[in-house]
Amino acid sequence: MLSRVHPLAKLVACIVWLAASILIFSAPFQLAIIASAVAALVLIERRSPLLVLALMVPFALFGFGFLTTSVLFRQESDFALQMAGETPFGREAFSAGVVLFLRAIACGLVSAVFALTTDAGQFIKALMADWRLSPRIGYALFSAMQFVPDLAAEAQQIRLARAMRRGRPPRRIPDPLETASLIVPLLAYAIRRASRAAIAMEARGLDAGISRTVLGAPLLHRRDIAFLGIAFALLPALWWVSRLTP
Amino acid sequence: MADAPAARWRDVGVRYPYADAPAVGPASLTVGRGERVLLVGASGSGKSTLLATLTGLIPHTIPAEVTGKVELRGENVATRTPAQWSADVGQMFQNPEQTLCGMTVGDEVAFALENQALPAEEIETRIGWALAQVGLPENWRSRRTMQLSGGEKQLVALAALIAQHTPLLVVDEPTAHLAPAAATHLRRLLLDRPGDAAVLIVDHRVDDLAGLVDRVALIDADGSAVDGGAPRAFFRAHHDRLAALGIAIPPPAALDAALRADGIVLAEAPLTMEDAVAGLEALPPGEKAAAREIASAFATAHQARQSASASTEFVAALENASCAPLFGPTVLRDVSLAVRRGETIAIVGRNGAGKSTLAASLAGLLRLKAGRRTGPMGAISFQNPENQFLAGSVREEVRDAWLAAGTDAAAAGAKVESTLAQWRLSELAAAHPFELSQGQKRRLSLAIITAGGRWPLLVLDEPTAGLDGAGRAALEAEIRSLAAAGHAVALVTHDLDFALASCARTVVVDGGGIAADGPSGAILRDRALLERSGLAAPALLPLLDFLEENRC
Repeated sequence: MLSRVHPLAKLVACIVWLAASILIFSAPFQLAIIASAVAALVLIERRSPLLVLALMVPFALFGFGFLTTSVLFRQESDFALQMAGETPFGREAFSAGVVLFLRAIACGLVSAVFALTTDAGQFIKALMADWRLSPRIGYALFSAMQFVPDLAAEAQQIRLARAMRRGRPPRRIPDPLETASLIVPLLAYAIRRASRAAIAMEARGLDAGISRTVLGAPLLHRRDIAFLGIAFALLPALWWVSRLTP
Repeated sequence: MADAPAARWRDVGVRYPYADAPAVGPASLTVGRGERVLLVGASGSGKSTLLATLTGLIPHTIPAEVTGKVELRGENVATRTPAQWSADVGQMFQNPEQTLCGMTVGDEVAFALENQALPAEEIETRIGWALAQVGLPENWRSRRTMQLSGGEKQLVALAALIAQHTPLLVVDEPTAHLAPAAATHLRRLLLDRPGDAAVLIVDHRVDDLAGLVDRVALIDADGSAVDGGAPRAFFRAHHDRLAALGIAIPPPAALDAALRADGIVLAEAPLTMEDAVAGLEALPPGEKAAAREIASAFATAHQARQSASASTEFVAALENASCAPLFGPTVLRDVSLAVRRGETIAIVGRNGAGKSTLAASLAGLLRLKAGRRTGPMGAISFQNPENQFLAGSVREEVRDAWLAAGTDAAAAGAKVESTLAQWRLSELAAAHPFELSQGQKRRLSLAIITAGGRWPLLVLDEPTAGLDGAGRAALEAEIRSLAAAGHAVALVTHDLDFALASCARTVVVDGGGIAADGPSGAILRDRALLERSGLAAPALLPLLDFLEENRC
């Protein structure tokens, strides 16, 4: 359902939610944001709870860094400590660390909601059509997205070519030395590929000095306005609920 | 400028920075309005460079020193940027895989039209029309271009080109990776332009093109352009010159030359093998018998025979194999295929049938999803030759290949020079591999993989793409020599004449498995099978039919 929302409406909502998560230094509020994001992914978007849990891992590791820093270097986070002093997590430093930890997960999950429910192509088209993103940048982003899987295939072919020269099959996973040796040829490939794409785009009229049509850009519907209204209304509601937590 | 030609080069020469010699020129060439011109030349002769000067990509985007003058419809190209010429000139580059701009098939076709700020409804109509023209289903609009095979990407690039409706189309090897039936259809589509729309086409596969163009021009050894006139006269008049330059000669023209060498002159220079057969039929009885002998020798020379060294010993075998490309889904199921020593096998099929996947699985370079593979690892010459280059110069690449094959450093020197000469790379020995033209890169990749003969099984994936006539001849000879030395060679190709000439056995891949497997002489003459599998009959077929009907 969220996939059908206009990408820019979703982007605005996510930015506001991220800002709220950054500005409101309250563990219950962060927990409420996390719960909302998980509910959106699992209940509305029907994503696997395991996937959502897996998504939390890198953000949790990142947040854990904040937690340990707050506990070990408390004198450097006076403001946070003061804010966290009112929270029920025992020691001030630990409380501040917990809030920072939860904030990292909350921000990560809000970003994940956007990334998992937004078609990258539609997002870039919407940016070009509605926010006047330069087509040069827009199509550079398209090319970059095309390029990522090609780069993996290119790396594999280079590995195969080298393995053939050596006369034995390649390892399943390259060792650090082999990985390092792939950097230069892959960089050279990336440069060649980028210049070919740039030449082709120019030959086909990109940036010819006239305004261009953007075909298939998503249109703003009433449901997008309704989505924004709900997203904005939900924030104060979450804040109010989080204040009730003892 | 209403009567000015569509395009004109006046004494145009191009020299790239730090290059010792000009890449092309000074060359003069004119393409009239409504004219369809085929530009031929040996690989590395500067054809692509000359095309890139047409809208000013050289020197505007690609730095080079350009002399002379280029005009489009009478206007100096330097007065506008390359992007501003896009409404007048539609261009398709050699490697469409690396020049796709859109995320989806629909985006790709729409790209140039969006840049011209055409109304959305008009763009939608043209996308539908162009997809139908190239034979892509309407529901492919939303398909991701990165999920398509090489040939399918080429079809999308062609759809994007014809959707532009420009008065001049410039295409560089537009069908190099396409199956024969699709390639023939698309060549006709490209060249059957309405009104005064002109087409300039560069291709090494000239068999079908010869009958479709108005004029042929040639880039000569000194970089100049020679206007050869109508194709029928061109291939007869310039046969020896083309052969000396290493440019591909269509089989009917080659047969015509063989007949003329023995004093038999067909009433009309043939453009197709059907023309040649009609000419043979029309000969007086006295000459017809002699002509039949020459034609028979010609046909024999263009059909591979089983190598004398072919044995019963298997080099590699797949048993009930399920094959899948790297990180991709299974495309072939329950495949059983065995290759013997000294055997040459052509793997043919429509675009996206899974030919490359089968070949790489046979070589042991892709892990099977199910089933079993036996035999030592083989080597593969990739579709994109750049993937095989690791050294800083052509000579180093060849030297490394010989050293890897177990040759000691002292003996390698002479072998390296001999390999360079064999593949016409001696003059490019000091160049970096990435500086070479597409055809030269192909020759280098083949030189590397065949050096030292260390592989029991060699897989060559589309080895003729970008190769000129001399390159094809060298490859054909090399395949024969490898087979004679007991190596097995598997050839993935869309070039069925090359398959017939170099492989004794043919495997047709279709419908997620092997549709046919047998002697090339039988498989490639089975018109019903070829049609079912999206393949076109080899050009030689009418001659084989004629010889059978006129047995002595």
